[in-house]
This record gives sequence, structure tokens and C-alpha cells, in this order.
Amino acid sequence: MDTPEVHARLARILEEMRGLPEVTASAIVRRDGVIIEHRLPTQVDTRKFAAMTAAIVGTGEMSTTELGLGGFDQVLVYGSDGVMLATGAGEEALLVTLLRKDANIGLVLLTGGRVAQEIEECLRAAVPQSKEVAYALP
Amino acid sequence: MAEAAALTTGRVKTGIQLIDERLGGGFDRPSTLLFFSRTPTEKRVFAEHFTATGLREGERCLYVDFYRAPQLAAREISRYGSADQDNLVVVDATSAQLLIEGDGKYVIRNLDDLKEIAATIRRAIQETRPARVVIDSLEFLADRFPREAILSEWRKIIETGQSCGAAVAFLFINWTYGEEEIQQVQGLCDYVVEFQSRVRAGVIQNFLRIADQREGGLHTAWIPYTFRDMAGLSIYFPRILVIGPGDAGKSTVVRALCGKSLSIDKMGTTVAFDYGNVDMSGIEAEVIGTPGQERFEFLFRIFAQEITGLFLVLDGSRPEDLPRARHLLGLFSPDTPRVVLANKADLPQALSETEIREALGLDATTPVLRTIATDGTGVREAMLVLAEQIMGV
Repeated sequence: MDTPEVHARLARILEEMRGLPEVTASAIVRRDGVIIEHRLPTQVDTRKFAAMTAAIVGTGEMSTTELGLGGFDQVLVYGSDGVMLATGAGEEALLVTLLRKDANIGLVLLTGGRVAQEIEECLRAAVPQSKEVAYALP
Repeated sequence: MAEAAALTTGRVKTGIQLIDERLGGGFDRPSTLLFFSRTPTEKRVFAEHFTATGLREGERCLYVDFYRAPQLAAREISRYGSADQDNLVVVDATSAQLLIEGDGKYVIRNLDDLKEIAATIRRAIQETRPARVVIDSLEFLADRFPREAILSEWRKIIETGQSCGAAVAFLFINWTYGEEEIQQVQGLCDYVVEFQSRVRAGVIQNFLRIADQREGGLHTAWIPYTFRDMAGLSIYFPRILVIGPGDAGKSTVVRALCGKSLSIDKMGTTVAFDYGNVDMSGIEAEVIGTPGQERFEFLFRIFAQEITGLFLVLDGSRPEDLPRARHLLGLFSPDTPRVVLANKADLPQALSETEIREALGLDATTPVLRTIATDGTGVREAMLVLAEQIMGV
């Protein structure tokens, strides 16, 4: 798959997510804090959002490791008006979902796990740029 | 009038302020430009931006398009902001491919006839006397005609451009030619603007570099850039990292650079990160300030990837912080462009530049600037110096 195809497929995955009644918005973010694809409200600064998410998940991962909680699964952030859920989606990416405050988290986690796997497969199927092409870039 | 225009020499701007400054006001006019890449990239975006910039400057521009109908080409060029489209002349090379009669003034009727193609382009240049000519693209011809024939016609187009005082740009993605032929093609040009892009996890990053082929001419490093509708191209540094020991003023530097920034801090110490956008002199940048304390180093490592450039911020009055600063600097490849900010330069015990250089083991090429981030002194300059380091000029 080339890059536009990857994005089209990721966009479709996010559209499906938005079809769930609990979900208000969602995004796919690179683990180092760069936005890959999103369905976020226009007032959200997507770049800032991506950096924030990476930091939250990084801190979550650090906590599970340091506290002997095993492997990292997800972070949930509860606000008075809604919930943010972030899970890993392969080595490179994170799936972030915003939920209604009364959402059935268990149900979303179930779907989220499957979706995260789809994202992982999609990114893995992406054609990486060949090594000899990317010469001498910083 | 036409004669007077023909004698016009000078510069044609790229429309990217920092690059124009380095080029001494733009590309020479007349001159021959090659917009070149080895893989599919956003060359055309640069070519269209180049054309739109000319229109905005009130110059006449000639666009030869083998892929799009003239109306479509004109419409896409207008994405780069409002400009006087009357000065845009498009040579129609698509109507013949669709077996329809083109109704423009310059229509290439037979695409199997290289001589006619070149003659139409030359006639258009001679009659319209444009400041800029864009030929989109050479690979269209390279796919259809023998190399020697193309080079010979190409030379004639270059000569016509020279005699009419135009900057003539050729787009060229190399599918077919070997390294030797590329050298030959590049050798015919005054400037080569080369494009590359890189993809990681679905995120594309674009780069360009400019080489003035003449003796002692400008050679830039790979410059990252981005494009937005109506704003056009700008230099874009996707990640500038601000590092340094605790309480050096990193968050203050981010704030001074970006105006408003997001800061996650507790009791005056950054516990997550600072984030801000820079938008100045044709540069856009995203700046991330990292926490200085060792206990937050895990967070630091998340952001310490694919860095465009670094600011190392020091409290210039605290020699005891220098080992920590040196350690932080050592976490990055020596190739990462960097600038050291000796902050709090207003404090009486401020260290000298030599002391700082020695303690950090800096080489002579790393700039050390004195700043007072609390009132913004030196911070903007630091961004420009870092931009120069990144651009390699």
C-alpha cells in the first residue's frame, strides 16, 4: 500500500469508530507524538493533541513497568464531561478515542482492541520508503 | 515595451523569505533551473508556488503543462493565494492528447514531434517575454524521445530563455537516466532544486535542497518544508527540542519563541512538556520543551526522535549545571543542528562563552548565544541562527 492508500484506510477505520454511540472523536498518533490521521473536532490543535497523547501514554507505560503491573494496555483519563482512552496500536502508533461521559467503557475497549490491531496491520502493510532512496536526510 | 521587458535582469523570488535572503534576493534572471527528484515528490507544489510568487510580483509567467488542461493548471496555481492571473500564460500540451482542438494561443498540436513541441515553447517565450518559465515536465519528454534529441532541443529552449531574460525551470523526475546523464542534465543548469520525501508510520515529511551549480555558489542542506492552501510553501521544522538542566529557563524560552504555549508544570517545574508553534520570517516550527530533571528522562526520550534541531538552554550563571548539560547533549547524534543558549545573561555571575564551550566540549561550529528569556532578549535571533544551522547556510 502506498501512503494515500494507508491514509484512506486509516480514515475509514476512524469513521467506523465514530459510528459507535459512545465515541465522539478519535485519532491515530505516532508514539513520538506526531498525528497520523484523525477525526477530531476542529477546535482541537491536532499537533498539540498528538504530543500530549504521546506523553500520557509514555507516562502510563513507565508506570506499569516501574510498579510491576505487567505490560501496558491502556490509559483512561476521566473528565467531568467525557473520557479519553488511549491504547497502543502496534510499535509505531497509538489509538486515542474520546468518549461520552456515560460510555460503556468495557464495550469500547472490546472494539478498540480490534481496531488497534487493524491499524497495526495497516501500518505494517504500508510500503516503507526504500533505504537507498532516503539518502543523507537529517 | 516588449523590448524593455526582454532586457530585464535581476532576481526572481522563490517566495520563501529565508531562502530568498540566502540567494541574494532570489534566483538569478536569466537562469536555468532544474526542479529535480529521484522519486515521486511534491516538486510540482514548488513549481506552482514559484509561478504564483511570480504572478504576485507582477511578473509574466509561462507554464508549459503536459499533464493538465490549461484551465485546470491555472486553477491549481490560484490555490497559492490571489494573484493576477492575466499574467499567466499556459502552453496547452494536453488538448492534442485528448484529440480536441485547444483554443489557447499556444497549443502543441503534435506530441509525437519533438521539434514542434520545442518550437512552440520557444515561440511562446519569445512572444510573451515572461520573467519565469516552468516546463512541467522533462520526464514527459524523456519517456517519449531519445535522449540526445531531447538534450539538443532543451539547449535551444535554454538559449531562448537566456536571450529573453527569463528564469526557465524544468521539472524532472528521473526514471530512466543513469548517473552520468543526470550529471550532464544538471550541468546545463545554473541551479538545481532537489526534492525528497520520507514516510514514517504514514506521516510524510518533505525536504528540498538548493545547489547553485556555479563556482562558489550556494549549497543548502536538506530543508524540511510544508505546504498549505493559500499560504503556499514554508520552511517547516516539525520538531525543535528544547533541552537543558532543571531551572535553566526552557519553558520561558518556549514561551518567548511561541507567544502562547502549552505548559504542563507543577510548582514551577515542567513535569510533562512545553509545546508551542513558531511562525516567523517564513519559518514554521513546532517547539517542544522537555523537563530538565533526570527523573523525567523517560518523557524526554519519547520526544527525542526525528529532531530537526536542538536548543540547549543553560543557566549561564551556574557552572555546576554544565556536566548535566553535556550529558543531555551527548544523547543526540552530533549531526543534529544545535544552538546553545547561555540564558539568564543578565545575572552578574554569568559564565564566559569560552568557559561554556570548554565545559560542554563544543566544536567551533556550534553557536553559543547569550539570552534573557524572561524579556525575550536573544531568543528570536537564536531561532534564526538555528534555522541557518538546519539549512546549512
